[in-house]
Amino acid sequence: MVKIVKSIALIPSVLLTCFWLTTANSYEQAEQLPQEQASNWDDEWADDWQDVPKKSPWQISHFIEMAYGHFIQNNVVESTSALKEVRGRINIDYSHELFELGAKGDFLYDGVLKKAIFQTREFNIAFSPLNNLDVKLGRQVLTWGTGDYVFLNDLFSKDWQSFFSGRDDEYLKAASDSIRLTSYWEKFTLDLAWTPEFSPDHYLTGERFSFYSPLLKDNVAPAEYFFVDQTKDAQFSARLATTIQGVEYALYGYKGAWTTPIGVNSQGIPYFPKMNAWGASALTPISHGIFKFEFSYYNSIEDKQGNNPIIPNSQIRALIGYEQEIAKNLSLGLQYYIEKTQQYEAFTESNVFADEQVDEFRQLSTMRLRYSTLQQKLIYSLFVFYSPTDQDSYLKPSINFRYDDNLSFSAGANIFSGDKDYSFFGQHQENSNVWFRVRFSF
Amino acid sequence: MIKIFGKALLIIASYSWIMSSANASVDVQDIINKSNLASYYAGDDGSAQARMIIVDAKGNKQMRQFTILRKDQEDLGNQDMLVFFSRPTDVQGTVFRVTKKVKADDDRWLYLPALDLVKRISAGDKRTSFVGAHFYYEDVSGRNPAEDNFTLISIDDDSYLIKAEPKDSSTVEYAYYQLAIDKETYLPMQAKYFDAQNKLIREMQVLSVKVIDGFPTVLHAKMTQLHDGSYTEMQFRNVKYNVGLPDSIFSERSLRTPPKAWLK
Repeated sequence: MVKIVKSIALIPSVLLTCFWLTTANSYEQAEQLPQEQASNWDDEWADDWQDVPKKSPWQISHFIEMAYGHFIQNNVVESTSALKEVRGRINIDYSHELFELGAKGDFLYDGVLKKAIFQTREFNIAFSPLNNLDVKLGRQVLTWGTGDYVFLNDLFSKDWQSFFSGRDDEYLKAASDSIRLTSYWEKFTLDLAWTPEFSPDHYLTGERFSFYSPLLKDNVAPAEYFFVDQTKDAQFSARLATTIQGVEYALYGYKGAWTTPIGVNSQGIPYFPKMNAWGASALTPISHGIFKFEFSYYNSIEDKQGNNPIIPNSQIRALIGYEQEIAKNLSLGLQYYIEKTQQYEAFTESNVFADEQVDEFRQLSTMRLRYSTLQQKLIYSLFVFYSPTDQDSYLKPSINFRYDDNLSFSAGANIFSGDKDYSFFGQHQENSNVWFRVRFSF
Repeated sequence: MIKIFGKALLIIASYSWIMSSANASVDVQDIINKSNLASYYAGDDGSAQARMIIVDAKGNKQMRQFTILRKDQEDLGNQDMLVFFSRPTDVQGTVFRVTKKVKADDDRWLYLPALDLVKRISAGDKRTSFVGAHFYYEDVSGRNPAEDNFTLISIDDDSYLIKAEPKDSSTVEYAYYQLAIDKETYLPMQAKYFDAQNKLIREMQVLSVKVIDGFPTVLHAKMTQLHDGSYTEMQFRNVKYNVGLPDSIFSERSLRTPPKAWLK
């Protein structure tokens, strides 16, 4: 076993050498860092640790990751794999008394798309122009709300392709070019996020995963032929949060569009119908665990009557959840989610595919089990989505082994099943896959 | 009859008084309180840089480095804490916030920078590893003295030797532990954890103490797991007390925007 681990460890070190060549310029900067930053701190351990070096304003870190996944059923997509990539991340932060600069970029060779890509994950400046105001400007990841893998008031961009393919959870949240203002008042915190140019989800296009076409009554993978009428409209998001006697409350608002192209325009092309949302959440510790509640009203303003079959109806979404450590190192999280389609009668009457339509009260339950052992080096995790109304499910088992501070291995699966070819998870049966990742951080 | 019996009682009483006089002058609860104060409540607040080396049974090493900010709501009472992780690189930027509560479950939050996610986490078992180390959460934040019964075993020139037995043995992995508490500083210099067969299973040793701002401070400690010899060493530097941390920094804001002025 040790031998295998060692030979696997060799692969990233070869890649690492390549990476050093490509990032030589940034390394010249790194060489100017104080010894403490640049050297291998493992060797510095001594009985005494009293010298406090002057803190460098630069923080640089990297990782190299190889990931491979494989479909376990025949799929209409071109590749047999949804994940086949080598990725190098460089993360550079600069801290000044008055501001913080953050930059994170991924170079990757994507074997599924057969091309090299550079992705700017973060590129932003953060500063506090007033005592009670924080500003973050630029490409950033935004998150709020209480759901675990279920999103109600968090309408920030998600990357479903990453989520379904077995990439690290980090990639479920896609970055957006935004301005975030957070102001702190005596009892409240007010967040405003403005995304000047619409930042949609990384939805399924058929490039990596297939999806159900109600017209063809089968799964399709149009890939580059999946035309979407893009929008450039802005998105506004707001959150007002407070804590009263240990209970965390928040109100949310959103003005923008549906974040996946689930409308069809007059030319018959998918597009992002306008949508506004508002909602609230509460979260509190109860009986050694955390209880949460969240709801949201999605106002699909282009189809207020609910009788336009090619634009989604408004929805009320509600979630309750509870999580607790049920035994030493074993935690359990449960959620129940209901999505009510408004004007359901009008929806049914106008729907051409009424026999395939979602229930008025679509329901979804989730369970997360997480067990850590070997002093947190080995983590077993299982996340299950099950919908009693759609009669479909999505299982996400995974194992993560942290060999040391640099090297970690992960393996897992995305298993979809369902009685019907058209339901939310059921349509993805052919997309079921297993995956493996190895990451070297330094 | 009553007289004789009373006399006998008096003799027994005085005999046992003589036997215990060495220990009677010291109140074990008083030592424990002073020890708890010295270990976890020095000053009204404090900050320190910490690092740990975690060595497994095969000699493989892992490291952790973090900065701690602490403020007491009251001595021997609730405390607010922030832990900012700087190393290794995969946890850099992660922040852990705790409100330690003496009479209820702690409140805990975790900030994961890659997702910009502030996650409220359930209180959890305090006798599980603190970020992969051999130290438990409870070793870092302080075990509530109300959960053990203490007996003074002996006093030598330097220290009080105290035995602690859990009131609820189902919540702990040991049958009892022994503390060697320094008579001068009241810092526990050694803690030995035993199982029901009186076998030593876990041992904490203080390797270095220095007086900082008038407070004797542990700068180096080691926790060993006896059955396989694996251990964690923890060191502190840049330790400061009574720095005047404002209450307002113990909030969600500090998770996303670490309070630079207090982390120097």
